[in-house]
Amino acid sequence: MYKKIISWILQLVVVVILGQTLFYKFTDSPETVELFAQLGMGAFGYKLIGLLELIACVLLLMPASVATGALLGWGLMTGAIFAHVTEIGFEGETGVLGSMAIIAWLCCIVIMYLNRTDLPILRTVFKKHKSELNS
Amino acid sequence: MASSLAVDLHKVSKFVNLSIPVCFLLFFAAGIYISFYFHFLSVAFLFLTLVNIFYQHIQNDHTLLKNFGLLGQGRYLLESIGPELRQYLFASDEEEKPFNRLERSEVYRKAKNVDSASSFGSQMLFDTSEMKVRHSMFPTPKEKLKAFSVTYGEERGIETAYTIRRPIMISAMSYGALGAHAVRSLARGAKLAGIPMNTGEGGYPKYHLMEGCDLIFQMGTAKFGVRTPEGLLDDDKLKEIADKPEVKMIEIKFSQGAKPGKGGLLPKEKITDEIAELRNVQKDADIVSPPFHPECDTVENTVKFIERVQQLSGLPVGFKFCVGNIKEFENLVIEMKQQDVFPDFITVDGAEGGTGAAPKSFLDGVGVPLAAGLYAVNACLEKHGVRDRLKINASGKLVSPVRQLMAMALGADAIYTARGFMLSLGCIQALQCGNNTCPIGITTHNPELQRGLVIDGRAPRVANYVNSVEHDLEELLRATGCAHFSELTEANLYIPPNTLVRDPQLKEVLAVS
Repeated sequence: MYKKIISWILQLVVVVILGQTLFYKFTDSPETVELFAQLGMGAFGYKLIGLLELIACVLLLMPASVATGALLGWGLMTGAIFAHVTEIGFEGETGVLGSMAIIAWLCCIVIMYLNRTDLPILRTVFKKHKSELNS
Repeated sequence: MASSLAVDLHKVSKFVNLSIPVCFLLFFAAGIYISFYFHFLSVAFLFLTLVNIFYQHIQNDHTLLKNFGLLGQGRYLLESIGPELRQYLFASDEEEKPFNRLERSEVYRKAKNVDSASSFGSQMLFDTSEMKVRHSMFPTPKEKLKAFSVTYGEERGIETAYTIRRPIMISAMSYGALGAHAVRSLARGAKLAGIPMNTGEGGYPKYHLMEGCDLIFQMGTAKFGVRTPEGLLDDDKLKEIADKPEVKMIEIKFSQGAKPGKGGLLPKEKITDEIAELRNVQKDADIVSPPFHPECDTVENTVKFIERVQQLSGLPVGFKFCVGNIKEFENLVIEMKQQDVFPDFITVDGAEGGTGAAPKSFLDGVGVPLAAGLYAVNACLEKHGVRDRLKINASGKLVSPVRQLMAMALGADAIYTARGFMLSLGCIQALQCGNNTCPIGITTHNPELQRGLVIDGRAPRVANYVNSVEHDLEELLRATGCAHFSELTEANLYIPPNTLVRDPQLKEVLAVS
């Protein structure tokens, strides 16, 4: 039971971190435009990422797809960390964004661990399925 | 072999396992130097690299994944859809078990009221190792055929004696084994066809009662629905059920073909709150019934128990069992004679099982098969001169009219089938009965899966199946030259030499008189 509660708290943390940037991405705010310009990405790039983040948030909020949402969130945050490490750096305000990404990334790992039996590609290892016992 | 072109999967997997991290590094570099969009790929390959490291170096449960990494998943993936692939593409018409495509489609056609005549010879492996029906040179004209009628309880002269006018009945399937939609479709179909339906040992038959068809209440070894907390018979609860106008007979289950010598089993995946309440049991564990009725520990007490149920209920009472030890059965018959108490019917079950979940060893290896068991029971009763004191029902894979007729010739008065009726509902033999994942929604309680099983649409199929089977049975009966099913004897069958009386135990029982 406490695992479920921890998982839900972390899910909400990730949703808040991912969700609060969506507004800036979808309204073409100058900060976003500038940030993504450093990566050579235009409106298509940050709106695509924004859309994927929105999907991750929705998946994280539906009980049946928490693990999948965390996996998607993990992928997006990994990309964000790559961006900070290779191009943007961690100085000033971008440092806050970078640390947020790292926090969300860690949360996603813990969520995936807590819901590991629902992860498509790892399920076989963690869960002994009936049909598998026969084979 | 070494020089020929061959796929060495181990080498392929090594190559794949090496190329995944290399791809990650390449895409990562491309992400830095060419375009940030490459990081979509580098992230994906980072994930695959991590999964692969986990498969090969961390987990210890799966040898295949440890040795082959991600490629090993291919086997599990293909294996998981293997049964479907085989059924759709590769299995021939007569090789699937327990019912091959030919047997299934016969039932489907009957349920859909489609003519089942076919041409160019039998599709069966046609040789002399199987039982066949002997036809007469002088078939019975249609007008000389006598209407089918079997009255249970007439031997005791009770007022509640129950007459069936059609030769087949729906065999025991509980609510629990089947979902609510399936139970109600069958019950409505039974009502349409005018046949009785056995409730199975699922406790209070709430859903079976909904459609107003005639019911045979089955009392299993755990006595669900009529039990005291200690698992003994609760007289009041039995009376209450027997007083329902729909309940026409009581069947005490001693054993069943799926797991003779062992109690019924309902896996915990299939236990809902409602089932737990109807059966009066816990929800969080598999329900395992005791292997025998606590009241029936000797032949003497068994006969007394039958009498007790007969008197409590006032209805025709019989018992169902799968033949095991024939000498034990003979002792039971002798005891019945001694006490002058006979059940109103005996249901002989074949040994290979049906819907119910059962341990594989019991499913495959325990119990006498139907033809031999039925023959033995009939012969044993005849030997003691008491065959006319009761009726015999037969069950066990009797989905096609010709097998049903053979069972009647071997001594059965009426036929029970469960899986025949499941097939008539559209069962595709997915073999998921125990997992609560039946794709047709028959043996599941998942509302999303039951959605497709529309009661109004399915009930007429049940009735069609009964009509077509009865029609074929009558045609077969006429071919044998008999006018009523009760005239059939084993002389109407071609029985390959030494198949039925080969059992030394039966030989011994029949020899001593």
